[in-house]
Amino acid sequence: MRKSASSRRRLFLALLLTFAIVGVFVVRLVDIQVVRADQLNKDSFNKRAIAITSYAARGNIVDTNGSVLAASVLRYDITVSPRTVAQALAKGVFTSRVSGKSVPLTVLEAAGHIAKVTGQDQNTVYQAMTTNPNSDFAYVAKGVDTAVLRSVRKLSITGIWDQKHPARTYPDGAVAGNLVGFVGTEGPQYGLEKIEDQCLESKDGSSTYERGADGVRIPGSTVTEKEAVNGGTLKLTIDRDLQWFVQQAIAEQGTILGAQSATAIVYRVKDAHIMALADWPSVDPNNVNATPIHNLGSLAFNAYYEPGSTMKALSASMLIDSGLATPATQATVPSLWKTPEGGTIRDATNHATERLTLTGVLQQSSNVGISMIGIRVPEQQRFDYMTKFGLGQKSAVDFQGESARGIPPVKNWDDQRKYDMLYGQGVAVTAVQLAGAYQAIANGGVRLPLTLVESCTKPDGTVSDLPSGAPVRVISEASAKTVVNMLESVVTGGELASALQIPGYRVAAKSGTAEVAGPNGAGYTRDRIVSLSGLAPAEDPQYGVLVTYTKPAIMKTSAAAAPTFQKIMTQVLKTYRVPPSTTPSTSPPTTW
Amino acid sequence: MTNLAYSLPARSPRGPAREHTPHIEIVSTRTQRRARPRTVYALVTVAGLFVILMVQLLLSIVLSNGAYQISALQVQQTELSRDAQTYTEQLDVLKSPQNLSARAEALGMVMSTAPAVYLRLSDGAVIGTPTAMQASQAAVIGADGALIPNALLPEQPAQGSDAATTVKAGAPAGTTATGSVASTPGVLPSPVTH
Repeated sequence: MRKSASSRRRLFLALLLTFAIVGVFVVRLVDIQVVRADQLNKDSFNKRAIAITSYAARGNIVDTNGSVLAASVLRYDITVSPRTVAQALAKGVFTSRVSGKSVPLTVLEAAGHIAKVTGQDQNTVYQAMTTNPNSDFAYVAKGVDTAVLRSVRKLSITGIWDQKHPARTYPDGAVAGNLVGFVGTEGPQYGLEKIEDQCLESKDGSSTYERGADGVRIPGSTVTEKEAVNGGTLKLTIDRDLQWFVQQAIAEQGTILGAQSATAIVYRVKDAHIMALADWPSVDPNNVNATPIHNLGSLAFNAYYEPGSTMKALSASMLIDSGLATPATQATVPSLWKTPEGGTIRDATNHATERLTLTGVLQQSSNVGISMIGIRVPEQQRFDYMTKFGLGQKSAVDFQGESARGIPPVKNWDDQRKYDMLYGQGVAVTAVQLAGAYQAIANGGVRLPLTLVESCTKPDGTVSDLPSGAPVRVISEASAKTVVNMLESVVTGGELASALQIPGYRVAAKSGTAEVAGPNGAGYTRDRIVSLSGLAPAEDPQYGVLVTYTKPAIMKTSAAAAPTFQKIMTQVLKTYRVPPSTTPSTSPPTTW
Repeated sequence: MTNLAYSLPARSPRGPAREHTPHIEIVSTRTQRRARPRTVYALVTVAGLFVILMVQLLLSIVLSNGAYQISALQVQQTELSRDAQTYTEQLDVLKSPQNLSARAEALGMVMSTAPAVYLRLSDGAVIGTPTAMQASQAAVIGADGALIPNALLPEQPAQGSDAATTVKAGAPAGTTATGSVASTPGVLPSPVTH
């Protein structure tokens, strides 16, 4: 009896103990598996998992033939953990690897090694490594290339690390630099890099993977949280080689003239594609600091100027199209003329009174002549024509910094200005707007939206053409042909004829020597903006060229722009294999 | 009846004589025998388990070996793509119009400023007048390569040597870049027009 009681108690105790232990285990289990499961999972994952950023490349900008104008490259920042350096130094384990062996050295020596590779000053590197010994991060060098990165890694100095640094490179330097623009430390800042950012922009991806004790990635553990998306390729209408030629040409002549700036535009008449658009001084996007800030943009798009006599071709177009004059309309042209309103119109040079036709007025570029005949077109009609020519409006490209200043409203045209505007004073345009107007004359009177960007191709292959405006019929086809024919007289017999002729081709052109208004409306200064706008071949215009020089120090007439025009147009006709004209140049009579 | 003088047969050393009990055995029926688990099955199962375990072990060895291989190849890929990028960059810079024109000029080539001359195949007519360029007529590209700067170009393109192909190391936006246009107005003689 006693024995069985004691054994029962023992059994009871054992059971109790078992249940207690199981209970403790259950509580612990629930605690780990349920209560703290999330936290523990996360902690353990963080110990194994490595988060990585996969860099997506910003899209390239290429010319019409696919030559790269702007590309994305990886550069590297060399960084240092000053704290690690200090600690290693204290323990005597600050080392560098020399031919496979770790060799102790001083920080100054290490800085010397790095400086030699990165091309920095030894002291700068030393400062970076030691200035803040409590910090875990400092830059030693930013944006070094692969060769430098490899050399630094080979040194294998304690506490020196590196990180990726996506960067932008412009292999052609200043060729189309003003158009392409550049990317600064805070993203795209100028030019197409900025205005076409939507196409070029890339999105970095992120993913995590787990790694083993020796740092090797565990297969199948990669989790991509965000896919990296590369940017699209932006294709321009620009031809890189022609662009270089044009930039070189205006830079050469601009330097000789001592001009303040120069622009040149080459466009294809039939589709208004801009084949080259040069600004001088040209900015090299690789070295933006070398260029003053006011030259970073595109003057051709943004700088308004009074065009001068190049405007006369537009005035003649209005006269012909409205039927108020013909190429043979006669005028007796003195070199100084008192307007009926009492104002004075003066020709650029003194000459005996001449009997000129409207064609002759263009050929001789007579301010008096165009004023006498051009005033026949009612003012509102002239305003409408100018609007349709696209003057004072943003171009279809809508380049960075373009502005729409409009045309002075008719009510502001005083008795002098209404004459002045006929020969391009008292109204301001940009080079691109003027090129667009000449494109309309060349293209049978239809102004097409100027195009600088051909397409944007996303990495998935979708191609988007960029939106552009609708064509505008400015003057009739017959009028346009007549005006081009009249402009041929400038090249066959005008003052600049010898500088403008291109053997084998019929060329139509108009020069301009505009006075530059002084600041604060204080009349006109002695500075000039000289320009030349022309088309070839005249019987069926294919290409147009506009050249302007702002404020040349010497040779302040359009004779300064004519040789450049001729040189560029010759190159354009050669580049695009335009067959020579089969008929000789003709133009309506210039005198009567 | 029996003669007790008979010696009794010696007792078996094994002990008392066994009573000869009738041997009764349960004999399983054929069906029972057939239903009985056989050793061979057990052996197969155990061997199978063993094989599975071995295969799993081998698989994981192969897998982790693959992981090292992938890791090594990834490192190699990174290095190779770095190489590719470096060479593409160099090539793009060497292809730049500034470099090509400067080198062509260094070789004594001159740029033709005359219009093109065409040969019409249908009748063999030559359209245009062929004009030979004189060295004096050449479009002069600046001594530093061009008036159109390119900071990425090596400072002096050495003619006929490969020295020029080593693109300058360092940041492209470095401060050592040269090539800004030296504007010297009025230095060259120019016609004085009205």
